[in-house]
Amino acid sequence: MDEDGRQVTLPVKIQRIVSLAPNLTEIVYAVGAGDRLVGNTEYCDYPAEAKNIAKIGDTMHPSVERIIALKPQIVLVSTASQLEAFTQQLNQQRIAVYVTNPRSLDEIFRSITVLGDLFGQSEQAALVAAALRKRAEAVETKISGLKPFSVFYQVSGEPLYTIGHDAYLTDLVRRAGGISVTASVPGAFPRYSDESALAARPEAIILPTGGSMGSANATAAGPLRNSPAVLNGRVYRINDDHLSRPGPRLVDGLEEMARALHPEAFE
Amino acid sequence: MSTTKASIDSGHATLGKAVAVCGSLLLMLLVVLLIASVVGSQRLPLASSLCALTGRSSCGLSPEQQAILFDIRLPRILLAGAVGICLATAGAGYQALLRNPLAEPYLLGISNGAAVGTMIALVFFGVHEWSRPIMAFVGALTATFLVYRLARGRAGATPERLILAGVIVTTFLSSAIVFITTLMDATRIRSFTFWLLGDLSGTTSSLLLVTFVTAGTGVAVLALNARSLNLMMLGERDAFDLGVEVGRVRITVFVAASLLVGASVASSGSVGYVGLVVPHLVRLSFGSDNRIVIVASALAGAAFVILADTVARTIIAPRELPVGAITALIGAPLFVYLLKRR
Repeated sequence: MDEDGRQVTLPVKIQRIVSLAPNLTEIVYAVGAGDRLVGNTEYCDYPAEAKNIAKIGDTMHPSVERIIALKPQIVLVSTASQLEAFTQQLNQQRIAVYVTNPRSLDEIFRSITVLGDLFGQSEQAALVAAALRKRAEAVETKISGLKPFSVFYQVSGEPLYTIGHDAYLTDLVRRAGGISVTASVPGAFPRYSDESALAARPEAIILPTGGSMGSANATAAGPLRNSPAVLNGRVYRINDDHLSRPGPRLVDGLEEMARALHPEAFE
Repeated sequence: MSTTKASIDSGHATLGKAVAVCGSLLLMLLVVLLIASVVGSQRLPLASSLCALTGRSSCGLSPEQQAILFDIRLPRILLAGAVGICLATAGAGYQALLRNPLAEPYLLGISNGAAVGTMIALVFFGVHEWSRPIMAFVGALTATFLVYRLARGRAGATPERLILAGVIVTTFLSSAIVFITTLMDATRIRSFTFWLLGDLSGTTSSLLLVTFVTAGTGVAVLALNARSLNLMMLGERDAFDLGVEVGRVRITVFVAASLLVGASVASSGSVGYVGLVVPHLVRLSFGSDNRIVIVASALAGAAFVILADTVARTIIAPRELPVGAITALIGAPLFVYLLKRR
């Protein structure tokens, strides 16, 4: 059973894996199954070895032919890029498709252990998950008792996108000692109203930028110009690769965000 | 000859009617403007907002409420109005010139032409303020001439041929758009898919100025050619015999309409059906004299897009819909109704 509630039948020993998202590629390497990864996407650039794996296109436009030619036993898909017809085609070729859909940090830890189990790497996966959980708990201990900041997480400035109720990032902001001002908005990444952004008056703004995002999204959107966050210099740029990929490095993102919001706790 | 004489004789009556029509449409536009300024994803106190809109004082609005009203909501409403003027007037112009009630910038692929131009400008010239409208205009004009050439068979341009030519140009340019978006970074794709369906948020005062100046110029040029367009609706041959410089009028109207579509697409993406629905409603209500239709379409178009955008930004607040989704939702069924009623 995968995280989308689909029943998946798998061979006992998986030797050939294709990953369709950078976060899944990072999980495969983290649990020690990187040597069995035979295909990934053009976005998969971490760890460095991932760049040398055969490329099957990008997350949104994978080439089915190339995937089939690689003879994988399992294809890992993240819901953000899930494609119905595409999954069906692979099933017809008796290639299992495993869909991940994490909505919180705990669910990401669970993805890591489940994928580790699938690849016969239960022990290493459990260690990795435990280490990550420990780091996440350490952050929570450090900031416990501190007053949380209201935070606006700007996915993109023009047009304005943010994180909503279903995003794992809403959970991450909370763990980092913030409260997302858009936590109750339906959906994961809603298109957000300029007026509501202005009225939200966040105390801090998180800008995921850099990494594969390049210099995009490096400034707060127009409606946030006069927010307390901008006026008090509480605008924090955090490596997009550590935030937009729900994999092991998300804990790096958590630490960076907590450190930005509550530097006093990390002195 | 009798028609010309009649239209000259009735000049006085037409002027009176035009004043009455424009007056009532202006009043409607004013009401729509008021409604749009007091409705939004953020609730503002009604009385204070209305008072603040007169510009005398803050009327008890907090600085943040003033910012919402004057920095975010009003510029967006103004842009919606300008886009409405551009698209509705361009639609009226194309319909008169091509003598085809189905001629519409979006359906003929002219909006797509402007979109391709804008995207090329963004890819090659970055965010330079003027490159977008200029390239959008070039794209719209190219698409217009392409459709026009394709539609003119040996038997002349029949309405069916024109629509078919529009379909061909639209689908060809849609493929070009998909091609360009695929080549671009993933981070920019999301903003483009939204923009393609029409996005009025985040406007700048310089973009507003460009759009309004173009809208004013375009409407004026089309209105000045309205009488010639009236005569050309009888048939280009007859119009020529009556002394209309058919070739010059055709070029002028094509260029002006393309300019209008270009300005609108460059500032807000492709908003569909405005150029179809608005001139139709205007003709149904006030008759098909272009001297009235063109100016009335401009006013009614502004009101229509402002209303549609008010729905787009409030219906699922604080989330937003692209305005093009609303104009199509209102426009397509209304169009079917208009077709059935004929």
